[in-house]
This record gives sequence, C-alpha cells and structure tokens, in this order.
Amino acid sequence: MIYSHFKIGLRNTIKNKGFFALNSGGLIVGLTAVLLTSLWVYNELNFNTSLKNYDEIASVMLNRTFTDEIRTGSGQPMQLAPVLREKYGDHFKQIALCSRINDYNIKYNGQMLMVDGRFVEPEMTQILDLQMIYGDRDVLKDLSSVLISESTAKNIFGSENPMGKTLTLSSVLDVTVAGVYKDLPVNSTFKNIHFMGSWELLKTRARYDERLSWGNYWFQIYVQLQDGKSLANVSDLIKDVFNKNYVSRTRDYQLFLFPMSKWHLYSKFENGVSVGGRIEYVIIFSIIGLFILLLACINFMNLSTAQALRRGKEVGVRKTLGSSRKQLIIQFFTESFIMILFSFLIALILAYLLLPGFNTVTLKDIAVPIEEPAFWFICLLLIVVTSILSSLYPSLYLSGFRPVRVLKGLSPNSKTPVSLRKALIVVQFAISGILIMGTLTVISQINHVKDRPIGFDKELLVSVPINTQKVRQSFDVIQRELLSSPHISKVVASDVKITAAYTGNGGDFDWKNKDPKFEPEFSTIRATLGFGEMINWKILKGRDFSAEFPSDTLAFLVNETAVKYMKLENPVGEYVRWGDNGTYKIIGVVKDMVTRSPFDPEEPALYILHKGRFLSYVNVKIASDDASTIEGAIASLKTVFQKYDPNSIFSYSFMDDEYERKFSEISRIAKLVIWFSLVAIFISCLGVLGLSTYMAIQRKKEIGIRKVLGASIQTIWKLLSKQFVFLVLISLVIALPLGYYFSSQWLMEYSYRVQINFWIFALSGLFILLITLLTVSFQAIKSALSNPVNSIRTE
Amino acid sequence: MSQRLLNIQQASRVVKSGGNQISILDEIDLTVHEGQFISLMGPSGSGKSTLLNCIGMLDAFTSGDYTFLDQDVHKMKERNRSKLYKEYIGFVFQAYHLIDELTVQENIETPLLYKKVKSSERKAMVADMLDRFNIVGKKDLFPEQLSGGQQQLVGIARALVASPKLILADEPTGNLNSKQSKEIMELFSELNKEGVTIIQATHSEENASYGTRIVNLLDGKIITP
Repeated sequence: MIYSHFKIGLRNTIKNKGFFALNSGGLIVGLTAVLLTSLWVYNELNFNTSLKNYDEIASVMLNRTFTDEIRTGSGQPMQLAPVLREKYGDHFKQIALCSRINDYNIKYNGQMLMVDGRFVEPEMTQILDLQMIYGDRDVLKDLSSVLISESTAKNIFGSENPMGKTLTLSSVLDVTVAGVYKDLPVNSTFKNIHFMGSWELLKTRARYDERLSWGNYWFQIYVQLQDGKSLANVSDLIKDVFNKNYVSRTRDYQLFLFPMSKWHLYSKFENGVSVGGRIEYVIIFSIIGLFILLLACINFMNLSTAQALRRGKEVGVRKTLGSSRKQLIIQFFTESFIMILFSFLIALILAYLLLPGFNTVTLKDIAVPIEEPAFWFICLLLIVVTSILSSLYPSLYLSGFRPVRVLKGLSPNSKTPVSLRKALIVVQFAISGILIMGTLTVISQINHVKDRPIGFDKELLVSVPINTQKVRQSFDVIQRELLSSPHISKVVASDVKITAAYTGNGGDFDWKNKDPKFEPEFSTIRATLGFGEMINWKILKGRDFSAEFPSDTLAFLVNETAVKYMKLENPVGEYVRWGDNGTYKIIGVVKDMVTRSPFDPEEPALYILHKGRFLSYVNVKIASDDASTIEGAIASLKTVFQKYDPNSIFSYSFMDDEYERKFSEISRIAKLVIWFSLVAIFISCLGVLGLSTYMAIQRKKEIGIRKVLGASIQTIWKLLSKQFVFLVLISLVIALPLGYYFSSQWLMEYSYRVQINFWIFALSGLFILLITLLTVSFQAIKSALSNPVNSIRTE
Repeated sequence: MSQRLLNIQQASRVVKSGGNQISILDEIDLTVHEGQFISLMGPSGSGKSTLLNCIGMLDAFTSGDYTFLDQDVHKMKERNRSKLYKEYIGFVFQAYHLIDELTVQENIETPLLYKKVKSSERKAMVADMLDRFNIVGKKDLFPEQLSGGQQQLVGIARALVASPKLILADEPTGNLNSKQSKEIMELFSELNKEGVTIIQATHSEENASYGTRIVNLLDGKIITP
C-alpha cells in the first residue's frame, strides 16, 4: 500500500511539474533558510561547549561602583590570584591568571610573524585541557618555555620539528618551544590563542611586581570549580576579597564568578547585572527562522489545498472503491511527505553549498556537523514539524471530500477553505511586511549613523603603531625624515588612534564648584603638537596648543560634552587639578568628535599635549589623494620605520577604513535581514501565485461569461486583483504595529539612532502591494486573455 | 425465488434549497433480488442518479427504511457501511472515473488493495480480469491513452474485480458512441447471466431493454408500469 502511495505520488509529481516546482520551490528556499539559521543558532548555542571543562570554568569578574552606575569588567589585578588560591583554594580545582590576548611579533631564523597569544599561569593549560601533540603541558613552570599551537608550528617551522627551537618574542624575549598543542576549538573564546608564554616571565621582565597594585586590573583570572561546589555559593564567598585587600580604594569593588556558559551570549552588563547580549540576536534569528518555516509550510498547505480541485475526483473514486478516510489521509500524507523529504534533501545540499557564503556574511566558521547526532535530530525534527504543519490540513481536507459531490463535478465541499487560505496569505504578508520594515529600519539606521558628523577629517590619515622605545624616543628625527617626503604633509604622534580613543581616566579630578561627590571620568587623547590641525578639528572657543606657549604642557582642550559634563559656564581659563599630574588650564573648547563607536553618544573628552612614554602611534596626513602620492607616502613610512625598528613587522592602517569597520557588525546584520526578507517575500509571492491560479481556475466560467457579456480585459484584471489588494491591506494593518514594535526595540540597542519614519511603513506597504499586484496580474491577465468559448463549453 | 439483496421502503430524500424543501426522491419502494438486472429509467432530474447513490450508500435517504442483505443501513455506523459496500458493491460511472495517475492494471488492482487482499492473490485476480476483458495488452497504459470504450471496460473490470454482489452503473454508456455502447451493454447482460446483480441508470430505451426489469422514475417517484 505504501509502495503504491509512493508510486502515485511520484507520478503526480511528474505530471504536475509546474505545481510541484511552485510548491517544492517555496519549501526548498524556506527550508534552506531555516537550515542555515538553525546551523547558526546551533553554533551560537554551542559556543565553548567543545571545551572539556565547560561546566566548571568561570571567569572572575569585577563590578566597580561609580556615582551613577556600576561598571562590569573582566579585568583583575595580578595580586588577586594568590589571595584566591590561599584563602579559597579548596573551592577550585584550578585558578589561573592570564594576560589579555595580544598580537606579538615572533621572530625565528630572521623571519617575522604576528601571532596572537597570552602569558598564562601553568594552571591555564589544565583548565583548557590542552591536547598536546609534542611535549608536556606543564612546562610553563619554566620561565623560558613557550607552548605553540599546531597551526602556528606549521606556519613558523613548516615540516621541521619545532621542539627545542628558540623564538624571539617582541624582539626582546627569547623563549624555547617546549610543546605544541592542538588548536583550540574555533567556536570558542580561546580560538585565537596561538601561543602561551609563562606568566612569570612576563611579570619578571616587565617588572610588574614593582609597578602594579590592586588598582591595575589589567589581567584576567579563570577558575575551574571543585566538584560539588556551586558557582553561586563560591561567587558569593569571594565577593568582598577585592574590597578587603585594596587598601587605598576610593569606591566599592565586588567580585563575582561568571560561568563559561554565559560568556558568549550574556556578556552585556548593566549596573552590574547581566542583561543579555548576543542571546538577543539568537532569539531574533530563531524567530525569523521559525517565521520562514511557517511561511514555507503555509505556502505548501495553501498550494496543496488549491490543488485539491484536481484531486477531488480521485478521492471520490477511491472512496467508492472502498477506501476509508484513514487510508486516504495516509495516502496524501505520504505524498506530501515524499515532496517534503525531497525538498529537504535539496535544501540540505543548497545549505551546504551556501555555507561558505553564509560564513562570510556572518563571520563564522560553521561546518555542517554531520558527525553529531544532534544535527540529525534537528533535521528529523524539521522534517516532522514541516510535515505536520504543511500536510496535516491538506490531508484531512482532501480526504474529507464527499464522493457524490466531487464525482458530479461540484466543488468538493460545501464549505470551501478559501477563507482559510486567504487568512494564511494574510499571515504570510504580515510576516513579510514585518521583515521588510525591519530591513528598512536597519538600513536607515546604518545610513543615519554613517551620516553622523564626526567632527574631524578621517580621510588620508594613516596610523603606524610604535613598537619600541627607540622609535618613541626618536620621534623628532622620524618626524623630520617623514616630512621631507613630498607625499606627507603632517606627522603627529599620539597615544591612541583617533578612531579608537578608548583610553579613559577617572577619579582624581577637581575644579572650581565641582560637586565633591561627583567622580568624573574622561576620555583622553594625548598627542604631540599639531594633532588638531592634522585631523582638522573645529575649535569653538579659545585656542589650539601652540609652540609659543611652553606652559601648554599643562593645558587641556576639552570637547563640548566635557563642558556640559563639568557644568562650566566659561570653560576657557578654568583650572583643573588632575591628581599628581598637576593642575591644567583649559585653553580651548573643541567641537565634539566621534572617536569611539558612532552608535554611542559623545564622551566628555580631554585633549592633552604630550611627548613621551604614552605615545603609541605615529599618524601622518598624506598630501593628496591620488594613488601615486598614497603609495609614495606608505613607501616613505615603511623606509623610515624599518630604519628605526628593523625587528618589527611594519604595519599601518587608514583611519577611514578603521571608521568604516565600525559598521561591519551592523552591516552583517543588515545583510542577513535583507536575505531573510527576500526569502520571505519570494515564498509569499509563490503563495499568492498559487492562490490566484486556484481562483482563476475556480472562476474560469464566471470570467468566460463576463467576457461574453462584454467585460474588458481591464475590468477582469481588476476583478481578480481586487481581493488580493484587500488581503494585503489587512496584512499591513497587522504588520505595521508589530513592525514598529520590533524595529524600535532593536533600535534601543543604539544610543545614536534614527527616528523611525513614516516613510518606512509607507514604503514597506507599497512594496508589498506592488509585488502582489505584479504576481496576481500574471494570472489575472492570462485568464482575461483566454478564449471564453473554451471555458464556458467545458462543464 | 432467489435471495433478497436489498429492500427499500417508503424512502425519501429531501433537501433544502433556498428555503424550500425539495423532494428528490419521494416514498420509493423497491426490492432487488440477487441475479436481477434492473434499469432505472427517467428523464434528467427524475432522481435516477440520486437513487443509485443512495443504494450505493454514497448518499443517504432522509427518511424511510433501507435494508441491504437484511441489515438496516440507516442504523449502521459509517465504518460498517463502508465495509459493506467495500464488500458487496461495485461502481461504474458515466465518466469512467479511472485514476489518471494509475495504469490500467493498477486501477483494477486498487479495490483489492483496500480489501487487503494478499499480493500474489491480487496479481492473479487482476490478470484474470485483464484476460476476461481482453485488455492484457493494455495493462501498462494510462487511462488517457485509451479510448472511451476501453476506459469504460477498465472501469467495469475494476468494479468486478472484488467480486461484488451488486454493480451500480450510472449512465455507463453516456459518454460512448453507439457501437461502444452496444458492446458495454452486451457485456453487462453477459455478466448478469453469470449471476451478477446489476442496477443501471439510463436515458436510453435501448440500453434499458438489456435489463430484466425496468423501473421508471419521474420527479422522484416510481411510476407503476
């Protein structure tokens, strides 16, 4: 019997290729999108889970209380680790202090390479359960040892045996390769650790013991909980360790443990409490995936029921031949199932083929996890859900036909399910509408932020990092040499890149009429003379730094936001005492500049004239924007830098590129949302095409009669299109408030955001209306043009 | 006297149409015995098809009694009713109503599938039918590849394959030309001689004459001959 169902299903498919293409086409596109989304969500949810000690690992986090908020960070002072070990050691299997990840210049045999790595305490290798290819993971107790990842070993040594070879780190540290470990899982926090040096080595060489106190929370501490200890309890136990040990503190510090399972998806903190993070995107894309699955199923359902007219006779005949309803349900279900299975397989192949592109858009490294049973379980679930959603109703509907009616050629049931199908179309368009509105919101937000005045000229600015003390000390000479190039017009050194001014200074500021409880924090940029001129900032009051005033070394320029922040009425000429650094005079006010994220509000900023140990970048302004000048400027930079710093890899970045990169995350989201919207619209259009075809068939006779009575093509087109316009209008009424809600929720993520405009809704509505009319017209005009004799005669 | 197959007493079928009650069948009395070949005659709208459908349990009388093999059809549950006609009734339609996606052989086999006949037995029974109707050569063709007469032959073969006690034929030759009609009617009369009970609905005096008994219908009533 089942065999017979398969057979007839297959023949039906071959016979109605068009219908099949329409139906499975929608399903394939939908399922492909759903598969890709599922893979993405699966990947996100499984972040870090491939690490063996996933359930036991946590990082020690710090909540710092400020006047108006609590700030949360993972930075810890190096003094904390020994205290934790001594006082609370029996609660942990391992405690490991690590430097933050950084890229280091590794030199071997005259060849240089930038490699990401960290300096760690030996316990870290236990926490991460490093799998060694060569050597022992405990060797980090030895200061001169370094562990490198398999891929790095290959990059540096090729086929040579790396063990025992000496590498030079950052031109100054000689270390010996004492082990090679398997690369850490790609889908994990630690994927980029390609070497691990000994923490003791870093501490000794950088003289941290003399320099760093509890106030320098520059490091990270990872722990592995002891069996049977609850994270919440231990977290509670250690919360005051910081406060007890940091004697000269000015504010409250609370420690807590943050489990690995939350690192990736719940990394956003507000006032010391985890308030989500990427999980929001996981939820959004899960919902979009479900929506699309729903769309595809609705489509399938719609087209299958529309197809019923043709199958009606068969149902009647089969019933008279003795088929029970159950048998018919099984038959139709089997047929749908074949189609769904087929579509699913194609979708699986498509998803596989599209995965590289998808990975590029999402910046992921997802592979189809063929070897994981969970993946196949999800596939199975998808097939079952799709089958039930899309085939159950058609099967019940088709099998319910009364033979007498269908065999007489009457409409199969007294109650035709057109109204249900119309409702489904409304749902489809409502979903599409919401997605289009989302797309337009994301796009207009991107454009809005891109149009934000940034307050300086980022064009033709190049920054080169300063890697050695020698470069820093030789800045005057370097500046002179660079300026001798005709391609370079200005040279200034600074402590940060103008597009990434993330240095903040807080606490010890004082000025006239300052509220004593107010603990201000400023964004600061230190730079040599000529910085403002180079970036072309706008001075609103006062003057720029000048060589004519030697006292300018103790002067601030402030931005407008700082003026408001400090509540100064006449800022120019005011004095600000900055802890031990001295008392600074405000000499000018600068128009606000976007030096951090363009999505965030302006920070109060101080600009400081500085020539010394903080300088980290040499910035140059290229003389003109023609290609040869730019090339010439880069060449000059390279020559000069290799002369003064031959042991580092020369690298540079254009500030306009850096700025553009701030949009990569949101652009990625935009691309995904656009693709999903297109898929949704495509599927919905197929649905409309199906329904309009069905209606055209159903009204064939009516159209024929109308034509005989003298109806023009235009009136018939109107007749058939009218009801769809009505459906679209209903769906828009549903979609608009929901779209508005979702869009504004999403925009709340950004402080600098676009106002949701009426035109977004108007445009979405218009777009849907237009595309529906286009789809319907295809069928309507076809019917309108048909010869009435044919349609009236057949009965 | 042979066994009584079915008995209809005072059976009516009333439907509502635009607020009016319309009697499609009006107090019908009809008894059919095994081995009879009855022709229901009457003009369009006289209720022939409805009567046939009601006898075939595709439709139901709205009042009156209907017993089939001494079982009261009206008191039966849907499931038993379908079992009954699966077992005892075969249908032949004016428009043949073959399943387009199935070959001749598969069309004939379908009722056996629903009766859950074993595969080997099924093959034999279908082969027997193909043989009997001389359509062995056409067994792998699809309905659309056959002429109307051939399609109706397949239709009859399909109705007969499960050896029903009763064949219900609604205008079986309505779509055929006179030569094909004649062949089909001769086949019916032959089948009847072999013991199959047949009730056919027809317009044509000539076709009706093949039957052993003619029942005339007009406006839903049986007119006494």
